[in-house]
Amino acid sequence: MKRKYIIFFLSICTLTGCWDHRELSDITVVTGMAVDKSDDEKYMLSVEGINAQELNVKTASGFAPSIIFTLEGETIAELARKMNIGVSKHLVYSHMKTLIIGEEVAREGMIEFLDFLERNREIRDDFNITIARNVKAKDILTVTYQFQKSSALKIHTQLESFVQNWGGDPHVRLSDVIKAWTSPGSQPIMAALTIKGDPKKGPSTDNMKKVTPDALVTVDSLAIFKEEKLIGFLPLEDTRNILWITNKIKKTAISVPCKKDKFLAIRIYNTKTKIKGKMKNGRPSFYVKVRAEAYLDSSQCLEDLTQINTYSNFEELTEKEIHKGLSATIKKLQQEYKSDILGMGEILYRQDYESFKKIEKEWDKSFQDAIIDVDVKVQLRRSGIRTKSLLSNQK
Amino acid sequence: MYYGNSEKASQKKWGENVAPIKSIRTLKKKRISWEEKLNREVKVDNDKEVQRIDNHSIEQLKMEITGAFGNTADLKMVESTEKGILLFYLDSMVDSKTVKDTTPVIYRTDRELSTVKELTSLCNEIFGGASFQLVGTMQEIYTAVLDGCIVITIEHLNQSLAISMMTDEKRSVSEPTTQTVIRGPKDGFIESVSTNISLIRRRIRNQNLRFERFTIGEATQTAVYIGFVNGIANNAILEEVRNRLKKIKVSAIFESGNIEELIADKTFTFFPLALNTERPDTVAANLVEGKIVILIDGTPFVLIVPAVFVNFFEIAEDYYQPYFLASFLRMIRYLSFMIALLTPSLYVGVLTFHHELLPTTLLLSVIAQREGVPFPAVIEVLLMEITFEILREAGVRMPKVVGQMVSIVGALVIGQAAAEAGIISNIMIIIVSITAISNFVSPVYSFAAASRILRFLLIIFAAVLGLYGVLIVLVAMVAHLSSLRSFGIPYLAPIAPFIIEDQKDVFVRFPFWSMKKRPKYLRAESEPKIFMESSPSPPDKGGGNNK
Repeated sequence: MKRKYIIFFLSICTLTGCWDHRELSDITVVTGMAVDKSDDEKYMLSVEGINAQELNVKTASGFAPSIIFTLEGETIAELARKMNIGVSKHLVYSHMKTLIIGEEVAREGMIEFLDFLERNREIRDDFNITIARNVKAKDILTVTYQFQKSSALKIHTQLESFVQNWGGDPHVRLSDVIKAWTSPGSQPIMAALTIKGDPKKGPSTDNMKKVTPDALVTVDSLAIFKEEKLIGFLPLEDTRNILWITNKIKKTAISVPCKKDKFLAIRIYNTKTKIKGKMKNGRPSFYVKVRAEAYLDSSQCLEDLTQINTYSNFEELTEKEIHKGLSATIKKLQQEYKSDILGMGEILYRQDYESFKKIEKEWDKSFQDAIIDVDVKVQLRRSGIRTKSLLSNQK
Repeated sequence: MYYGNSEKASQKKWGENVAPIKSIRTLKKKRISWEEKLNREVKVDNDKEVQRIDNHSIEQLKMEITGAFGNTADLKMVESTEKGILLFYLDSMVDSKTVKDTTPVIYRTDRELSTVKELTSLCNEIFGGASFQLVGTMQEIYTAVLDGCIVITIEHLNQSLAISMMTDEKRSVSEPTTQTVIRGPKDGFIESVSTNISLIRRRIRNQNLRFERFTIGEATQTAVYIGFVNGIANNAILEEVRNRLKKIKVSAIFESGNIEELIADKTFTFFPLALNTERPDTVAANLVEGKIVILIDGTPFVLIVPAVFVNFFEIAEDYYQPYFLASFLRMIRYLSFMIALLTPSLYVGVLTFHHELLPTTLLLSVIAQREGVPFPAVIEVLLMEITFEILREAGVRMPKVVGQMVSIVGALVIGQAAAEAGIISNIMIIIVSITAISNFVSPVYSFAAASRILRFLLIIFAAVLGLYGVLIVLVAMVAHLSSLRSFGIPYLAPIAPFIIEDQKDVFVRFPFWSMKKRPKYLRAESEPKIFMESSPSPPDKGGGNNK
């Protein structure tokens, strides 16, 4: 009996373990990956390995916060393993925060390397997927920044905060992209980034030392795909509206005109969108119901906020403004881009399966003729910590 | 029970009954049937040589005693030839002042002392309430002398008189050094068992509180008492305790630890199977719950049996504090047990196998700190843990005069210098400290030993197998725990087997009025503990205190 136990324990120790044993001093954490089109071969992969000591306040000594190494090859998977051509330590991909895809790569529909990212054991599904607009993906990765120092970490934090406050990032992860790509009733979207300033001055520690950096990575727009191909970019305003329709928005703020050249600022802090889809007379029709709670953030119109009528008046104005924005975005998608990035097809698939089955093949065409009604109800709950505006007390 | 001659007896016994040993293997396999066992035990009693004192003369008696005790310096014999009285005692064991005050009266008396009855009545007059017993055999006389009696023998009487005059040399009752409380009684047990019993008796003034005496240790003849509350303690467990104590045949018992090892259900375990305490209030509370205590003369540590896993997280103060605080602190204790057990191994496992488990910023910060550390994580951990164990042992053993050295050397030299020299990382110091501090939270010192030793096993498994290894050890540990029993009670009760009624006093402590019954797992003879109808509340709500 005892011998059995001994054999059991020995086999645990000898048959398993150790193969994935890596000391911390032997690894470099990869935080970002940039994929560009290569001139000679298919891909050009750049990875950002973090110099952990530079990110720690106590040990930082002013050197570059990370190292970016680029290789060219036919598959991303091979390149990811070949990085030791130039990098000393073992690269660990599990903490990758940002993936930046070059515009060219996306336009030519070469995003099939996502298969590697999904297949790999180490890589997780919690990194941002972005498109580099007008610049090379590698350039975006190389721009330094004062706070997170590494570009990939900065972008990750930046997009997260943006989603929380205003909603300009579609907040897509690998699984979202793949789901949108493969399902019949929706199309992938990604955030598009660009560099403000001189991309050549980005990869220097001097960039971190300036109050107004020479190069700064900014959120530019929303990249719209049709299948695997990038077909265009939508401005940030539309990005927010798309998130609103797809019920992904957390908080946002809008400016509503109340008089000529006078605006209200409305802060939306709680909102929900429900979509009902149905085939009506051979045309898909959708009813988008938006319900939102908001408070008045600022008012340039001097109306009496002690009166309930003022509130309902403001509510109406806001509803109209939102309605206008959402409808315009939908129209743009239907007529200009002809791509169902809203996932309306999926809604129809769920709610009216029989009809959707019939038009599944030419859904993109049906989407263009779809009737999409938007119904917005806003409830203005309060007006900040002030009732009367300071403007009403003017001399 | 006296075992003065049993050495000889047992030799004979084994020589006669056991077949000659062929090989160790056959010896191991041989099973002894119950009847054989019982017969043997009876025989031991018959074999005893009974040496009565019926017709000894004083001279003969003196010879016998000097023969038995040799020329030991503290044996005093006082003889009065004209009356035929022989009085002897161990100088070191009796209170000399009392002897001086009382014994001369025996010599001065004019009474005839020709019968035992007359002797008894005389002694009643002289010694009053002091307990005495009549002893008839040499064996009994020896034991009485060793117990601190003076023995009075009169020529040709078939019984002698042994009067207990034990010295009262003991330290005074003081605060326990190992199990301290903020709120609660501050007295602790001392080395004298009679004082300890009185401390318990003063808390439970109940005729059902019983103590039974055993004498264990053939060389030391140590007095061991078991205490229980009749009608509450489970009779079967009580009988088991008695049996196990009776079966002990060793030459010496000095501490409750000796007894604990000899009566435990299983000794190949890191976990203690009996609770030890220095606190009379803990003992009293446990007695009333239905447990049995074992007191050993010469040590302030008292054993409480049966003890289950959760008992080692309960302290007396839990019941003196508000129940919210008590519950919180109890959970802190469970938590710190896990911390003490797991932190170093999790550190090794996560840092060498599972980098993805840490948040990125934490990982980067750890990497930055470990930059330049020459050792792998496991060596670093073992180095620091062993250093800490050495420091701890030194701190306990070191003479108090040089005690401060430990803290200086430990904190400054080992901790700070090692980190500054870059031999270990700063985070390692945090890990070692939190582990050490958590380990000290354990209310019972012997229980902390379990996590102290298992920790190293876990570190080694984590180094080889990562968190998978940690899991393996934990699974094995839980399997082992559930196989343990303390006097027949499953060690993990009332968690496994799960007893819903007992959950009121496991991870949290319910208010006093709601714990109406004694713990089920102890199988107490009588269950109700609180006789109030309901919780205290205003009269119109029908509160229990206002009826």
